[in-house]
Amino acid sequence: MTEQTLVPVLELKDITMQFGGVVAVDNLSLQVHRGEIVALIGPNGAGKTTAFNVVTGVYAPTNGQVQFKGQTIAENFPRGKMETLYAGQNKGVYTAKVWPTPDLITKKGIARTFQNIRLFKNMTVFENVLIAKHMNMKAGFFSAAFHLNGREEEQMRQESLKLLEMVNLLDLKDEIADNLPYGKQRRLEIARALATAPDLLLLDEPAAGMNPQETHALTAFIRQIKKDFDLTILMIEHHMNLVMDISDRIYVIDFGELIATGTPEQVQNDPAVIAAYLGVDE
Amino acid sequence: MKLNNKKTYPMLSIAALVVLAVLLILLEINKNTFGMAVSILQKSAILAIVAVSMNLLNGFTGLFSLGQAGFMAIGAYVTAIFSIPTETIDSVYYTGGLAPWLKAMKVGLDVLPGFLQISLGILAGGLVAAVFAALIGIPVLRLKSDYLAIATLGFSEIIRAIISSPQMDKITNGSYGLKNIPGFALGLDFLPAGIGTLLVPFSVAGLCIGFMVLVIRSSYGRAFMAIREDGVAAEAMGINLLKHKEISFIISSFFTAVAGGLLAMFMRSIEARTFQITLTYDILLIVVIGGLGSITGSILSAFLVTAAKEWWLRFFDTPLVIGGVTIPLFRTGFRMVIFSLLLMLVVLFFRRGLMGNREFAWADLLSWPRNLSKKASSGPKTGKGGKKND
Repeated sequence: MTEQTLVPVLELKDITMQFGGVVAVDNLSLQVHRGEIVALIGPNGAGKTTAFNVVTGVYAPTNGQVQFKGQTIAENFPRGKMETLYAGQNKGVYTAKVWPTPDLITKKGIARTFQNIRLFKNMTVFENVLIAKHMNMKAGFFSAAFHLNGREEEQMRQESLKLLEMVNLLDLKDEIADNLPYGKQRRLEIARALATAPDLLLLDEPAAGMNPQETHALTAFIRQIKKDFDLTILMIEHHMNLVMDISDRIYVIDFGELIATGTPEQVQNDPAVIAAYLGVDE
Repeated sequence: MKLNNKKTYPMLSIAALVVLAVLLILLEINKNTFGMAVSILQKSAILAIVAVSMNLLNGFTGLFSLGQAGFMAIGAYVTAIFSIPTETIDSVYYTGGLAPWLKAMKVGLDVLPGFLQISLGILAGGLVAAVFAALIGIPVLRLKSDYLAIATLGFSEIIRAIISSPQMDKITNGSYGLKNIPGFALGLDFLPAGIGTLLVPFSVAGLCIGFMVLVIRSSYGRAFMAIREDGVAAEAMGINLLKHKEISFIISSFFTAVAGGLLAMFMRSIEARTFQITLTYDILLIVVIGGLGSITGSILSAFLVTAAKEWWLRFFDTPLVIGGVTIPLFRTGFRMVIFSLLLMLVVLFFRRGLMGNREFAWADLLSWPRNLSKKASSGPKTGKGGKKND
């Protein structure tokens, strides 16, 4: 892709995630630069979602460090029971424990969607988006409870409406989220993530369960929001058409390990990738 | 007939409130004639507060907590200690006497009029419960669903055990309980004596429920509902789970304790046994019958359940003789069998409670008869569609 000055937004350094004796992510290092769309692909069970969960604070990594915009947002090293169980590499390189809760990660500017849609099902489309505005509210509990923050509340509502208009969901704003068709639910989930005003958007299989037509629409949608909201995007995806079409760079992992990285063309022709996806003749 | 709904519905609400107020005042004046109704209404108003605060926690925030009886006990005891007249306090604590520091506090507070002392007591009860809630919330609110229920249930029992323990004799009067608690009365000089029997519980209930409605309709209320819908997604939207659960838990406990204080005044004498688990179950029943996630449902159900249980079904408790033949089964306790049967029927036909998670709306009420006739004439399928248009 274009060789601009590369500013790393997200950087994973030697991330290892071990559950008991199982190493789900093994020494994964990757960078996402400002304005890029990077895809993380790999066969089922390769550890892609686990990597996402480490970035978003759902898990503390067993070893390694995550940096966001130059700031360490997660760091850990094997200790306690893990000290003897640890089967990964780079033991002893990291010495601090940093593990903020997921809401703090979101406040720093990383938003995500989920592999299996997690909307607030019984709430309206509008409310789903409006909730994301809660975290930046300045009013304290009592002024909010007594509705003394009228101007702020109005601003939150206006921003939400504007966002819904930008993602073409405005006409459905009073619909209950659960009643939307599948494709719209996916779109709403992305819109809800956008409402937190992120710099980095993590999409976990945004095209899962979509037909080719919907996937095509989604591709255009991702391109559009990247432009409109000045986003950097890291996504997990299985639809190769979408991945090859949209990504600037691709990381391929298998059994938790990075096996290839590069542009879509480079990755497509990489023998290790072909072997991982199709198997090799013995 | 085309109504201007934006103007009509608030007018209807105001009219309904005025009618209600007039009825309450009439009852208040004639309370000696309608003793049963007054007592039922008092209790219903108190239980409505607890039901709404339980609904805030269970129905809106999705935290299945069963600690209500414990928080009510805290509120009841604090209110009782504040409001028992100082001159009779020694006859209440006749075994060991009241702790000197509490007595000193009571003597000090006697400069205030009785009405203020009681209000202070109710407020203090709520605050003590809120502090307890904040402290136990930190470990307990990390638990989910059933586990949270067990932990809060345990807390409630611990409170009851502590209150009745001999070590607390000088504060709670141990297992003897507290009596001589003044009833509901404003006690203001310019009003006839005894006014307040209904006014006090109803206005306190109005204030408490009003505040909780405001909270639910604020951004915090939306955050609570987001946590109920999907905790993981709520957290990913930047909502601090523990903080918001704590807020909900503290508000709910505060108002539960306020209702506990009112209950102490309603009953005039309390003991630890009053606040057993069955009290929590009674409230849970009201909330579920009313509909989880519906404030108006909880209020409606508090009145219906209390009235049915303690008044309307009394008929079944007295032996019935028709034409010289004694009808079997009509004896003390049969009322509860009928009551339970009715509950089962309600749950079978209204799976999500009387109101589901909707709130009362004039539009629904006014279109109800029309929908019923539509249903009758064109079958159930189109009848359902008709409702959406209103």
